Amino acid sequence: MNVVDKARVKPAAKLLSGNNACALGAVAAGCRFFAGYPITPSSEIAERLVTLLPQAGGVFIQMEDEISAMAAVVGASMGGAKAMTATSGPGFSLKQENIGYAAGAEIPCVIVNVMRGGPSTGMPTRPSQADVMQTRFGSHGDYPMIVLAPASVREIYSETIRAFDLAETCRTPVILLYDQVIAQSSETVALEPPTTPRAERKWATGPREEFKPFAVGPDGIPAMAKPGAGYRVHTTGLTHSETGFPSQDPETVNRNLGRLFSKLERHREQIDSWEAVQCDDADVVIVAIGISSRAARRAVEICRASGVRAGLFRPITLWPFPEAPLCAATKNARAVLVPELSIGQLRLEVERLLGRDKVEGLHQFSGEPITPAQIAARATALASEA
Amino acid sequence: MAATRFEVRFGGTGGQGLLLSGKMLADALASEGKNVAQSQTYEPTSRGGFCNADLVIANGEVDYPLPIAFDCLVLLDQLAIKPSWSRTKPNALVIADTRNCPDLPAGDYPCHHLPLSRTAIELGSERVTNIVALGALLELSGICKRASIERVLRASSPRSFLDLNLDALAAGYALAAPVAAAAS
Amino acid sequence: MFTDAPNFDVRDYLRLEMMPHFLCPGCGHGIALRALLWALHDLAIDKDKLAIVSGIGCAGRLSAYIDANTFHTTHGRPLAFATGLALARPDLHVVVISGDGDCLAIGGNHLIHACRRNLKLTCLMLNNEIYGMTGGQVSPTTAETRLTTTTPLGNNEPSFDACALASAAGAGFVGREVTRHVPKLKELMKAGLEHPGFAFIEVLTDCTEVYGRKNELGSSPEMIMRQKSDMRPSAYRNTVDTPFHPTSLPTGILMQNDRPEYGAAYRRAAALAAAKGAKK
Repeated sequence: MNVVDKARVKPAAKLLSGNNACALGAVAAGCRFFAGYPITPSSEIAERLVTLLPQAGGVFIQMEDEISAMAAVVGASMGGAKAMTATSGPGFSLKQENIGYAAGAEIPCVIVNVMRGGPSTGMPTRPSQADVMQTRFGSHGDYPMIVLAPASVREIYSETIRAFDLAETCRTPVILLYDQVIAQSSETVALEPPTTPRAERKWATGPREEFKPFAVGPDGIPAMAKPGAGYRVHTTGLTHSETGFPSQDPETVNRNLGRLFSKLERHREQIDSWEAVQCDDADVVIVAIGISSRAARRAVEICRASGVRAGLFRPITLWPFPEAPLCAATKNARAVLVPELSIGQLRLEVERLLGRDKVEGLHQFSGEPITPAQIAARATALASEA
Repeated sequence: MAATRFEVRFGGTGGQGLLLSGKMLADALASEGKNVAQSQTYEPTSRGGFCNADLVIANGEVDYPLPIAFDCLVLLDQLAIKPSWSRTKPNALVIADTRNCPDLPAGDYPCHHLPLSRTAIELGSERVTNIVALGALLELSGICKRASIERVLRASSPRSFLDLNLDALAAGYALAAPVAAAAS
Repeated sequence: MFTDAPNFDVRDYLRLEMMPHFLCPGCGHGIALRALLWALHDLAIDKDKLAIVSGIGCAGRLSAYIDANTFHTTHGRPLAFATGLALARPDLHVVVISGDGDCLAIGGNHLIHACRRNLKLTCLMLNNEIYGMTGGQVSPTTAETRLTTTTPLGNNEPSFDACALASAAGAGFVGREVTRHVPKLKELMKAGLEHPGFAFIEVLTDCTEVYGRKNELGSSPEMIMRQKSDMRPSAYRNTVDTPFHPTSLPTGILMQNDRPEYGAAYRRAAALAAAKGAKK
């Protein structure tokens, strides 16, 4: 502890937990409405926002259940507020109904899911990464989803801000997904408020008579009619036409649902985010998110020190999955290792892209995080097998 | 090679202010340009049961934020020994309270059995045992400047507790000073 | 046309492009909708500032017909959506339209907490004693012994008195009316819309096509004529303060108080907190 690299951390750095960074990021992003329900290990977000939001002119409310918290968030956003809720597995399951509504009716909002051990009530104070597929496919029907997976306190702050920006830009719900360790551990950080302007919602302008609430331009994003602005439109969870009114006309349904997916594809440049560490010459590339990616980062160092060429690929945007960057990062690798706190969800996606032959899982669902030593040992074995 | 890591555990029981000691130390280290990650174990028994604050200190980024093997163990209750011992490095610095942690595992390791809680009681409140321990830790480990921790203590103590906290910190340093001198 | 409403033309408040509506012939929901629009007209509530939030079911579909900011939400949740909307936009007049299944079964938890919270919202529960849209299943207000597709031997569950429930849960305003008395229904809705806190209004309407037919209750006019007599022998037994009389179902404003409204109280506390925060 003799060498002090003063340049790396600003003097104002303070110990801050992931959940607190999320609350601070939300306010910095312009969040002015939070509805939630107490649940471990996400409650610190609500407990911080209950103070921060009124100071920023916003509203905090603890609702009667997880379902109503999600509904209230969508309701507030329909009124024009940037809105968020936060929960964990059992609550996330309950929220699926209205997450689907937000996706279908294209209501921007941010949902934080702090992963704890499951299934069911599971292990409230232990980490898990077994909601990877639920964040993508949790509600019924076909709909796209943006899921961001920060892996540090600093990144929770910046990704919370990005979550709001993407929600507003793409008029869609965005899920922020991280595990109990990242949520409740603290790190010394000096948070820098964003210097770029925040994304704001595209509001309807122009004559009321000609306005169609779900008609779009080339970006695929319909302008939203703000209640009170005179447009008096209808919003529904039923499949609807450009007029906003229910329709089951096959051509209309095809066009509108197809657009839900294509609108995200058109914004992939803004949505995609990943980190590739020492992948170019790696024989083994480790693909991981959250606390497992932190262990993998150290495992890469351990491997490299013993002559094993390992690398790390870390999706920061988990869904839509950064397909091309993963393929590029693993091009030269002989094996790909996916350590995760689940029986194999992230691995399924990596296998889909790279084939089953090349991909190995390191799965642990005991509630204990996977250690750097475990990953390093497995990566070393894979390097010698390959 | 991976960035230098130095791992500290404050181990004891719920209500001893372990997380607060950890936070003050982390903020002091951050002011010196170091990075710190702090974690704790959440147990259903956190009130009255085993409680810990684990710090991973690094010059660069902390890659893995959870402890792997402790370089330093501060024990304020007997309860903390069992869950901590197997994860402590063989030559780790161990600081233990004489009153609450009387029986330490046998072995040849640098252990400092100090009257941390008794000193706090003599100062007027057992509640500042964590600050006495912090002073002793810093005297023996030298991981952080005294001025840095004092600055944090002044900034974060409630006014009514500031003098007591400063006295406790000084007492901790004083308690460990002869030991530190003997060792050097 | 009602002769006592010379200036009121229901078409001014309807989305005529949505006509014809999808309600069955004889359904009472249209009468309830007309009474609501009449009340809004009488109170001169600006359509641009009016938000209608509805759930799922026959009642839930009504929002699409109203020329306002309308939100057709998920089953049982309109009160929760409306809570977020009203808190984020206190300048809007928020009205919830729900049904007996939507409001009392799947959304029962939201109802009792909306009553308790007392946020300014007007909640109309259109009670036709049946899940009509899904084909006529038993609901929480179906009277005992009635036949439905899921009670082929007769309903053997007691039913809710929604007004007693809302009163007990703390609603600032509770009222009940039947579709038989349109001007009275309109006046009750006006009182509810003007109430500064949470207003719960139960509107007893008839499902002729599904419920009436299955139970041989006669034509729509016959069902309406019986609305205050023998329709609901079990629904209100021993559940309201007023002893049950088959011929005198309590209607009108059943309860009104001046408990503090949630939104205004929140904004006052928030402004204080903000001022304190600014001082620091």
